[in-house]
Amino acid sequence: MHKTLQETLKTGWIVIGALAVMTIAEFLVAIAIDDKTLLFALLLVTALVKAWLIIQYFMHFGQLWGHISELWDGIISDDPEADGEED
Amino acid sequence: MSQHVPQYVNHRFSSLDINRLGLWLFLVSDASFFIALLSSRFFVVGTSTPEHVDQVLGLGLTILLLLSSLSAFKAEAAFEHGDIAGAKRMLLATIGMGILFVFGVGYEWHEAFKHFPPSTAFGTVLFTLTGVHVTHVLTGVLTLGFVFFRIRNTTEIGDNQFAVEGAVKWWHFVDVAWVFIYPTLYLLK
Repeated sequence: MHKTLQETLKTGWIVIGALAVMTIAEFLVAIAIDDKTLLFALLLVTALVKAWLIIQYFMHFGQLWGHISELWDGIISDDPEADGEED
Repeated sequence: MSQHVPQYVNHRFSSLDINRLGLWLFLVSDASFFIALLSSRFFVVGTSTPEHVDQVLGLGLTILLLLSSLSAFKAEAAFEHGDIAGAKRMLLATIGMGILFVFGVGYEWHEAFKHFPPSTAFGTVLFTLTGVHVTHVLTGVLTLGFVFFRIRNTTEIGDNQFAVEGAVKWWHFVDVAWVFIYPTLYLLK
């Protein structure tokens, strides 16, 4: 089901809000924590979550699996009639 | 003269599918380059960060790039929903923030030369990482500019969908790279 423009933009605002909160949090954590290992671990986890949010919601990573399965279906298909149906 | 004629052409692969998959493959290969550069920071200087590193400037640059990702996202969404004028406005906003980011990195370099020039270990890491990243930002700005130029007189989506989508995806990739560069250069102790 396709989202309306308003629904899509709402998702964008929620994601950017989460990214902003995590960015401020990592800045404050870096000031507050002196333990190098703990700081490294926290910053790594935060960066991974932020990257996932961007890749999943802004770059539409989930879309990729649809393309891969379509390509795979096309590669293993040997039915010319089926291939012509969508044209 | 005989000519090879394929028995049938597989129409299941739309050019949009192929373009998207190709772009993702390229982004993955480019990400491996950034991973190698990021890991070099730990080999060269460990986790220590000089006290003169401007954390507030790093935070400002990060917020600017995140905001540009939102405007890029809005540009793509508006274009997909047929709001071409809105897409153009958001593309221009993204380009503007991209140019501001480049100036911000320029200022960072100006300051960095005083405290850790490229001849120092941390300077080598900082100038290499930010240099490679800002090159990606510049290519992103150029690509977004090209896309804006391409759709400037259009009133409908036409065959421009992947042009907008591809440029915006590239911009988000640049943002993802910075998500890792920012803590690596500015926040570690």
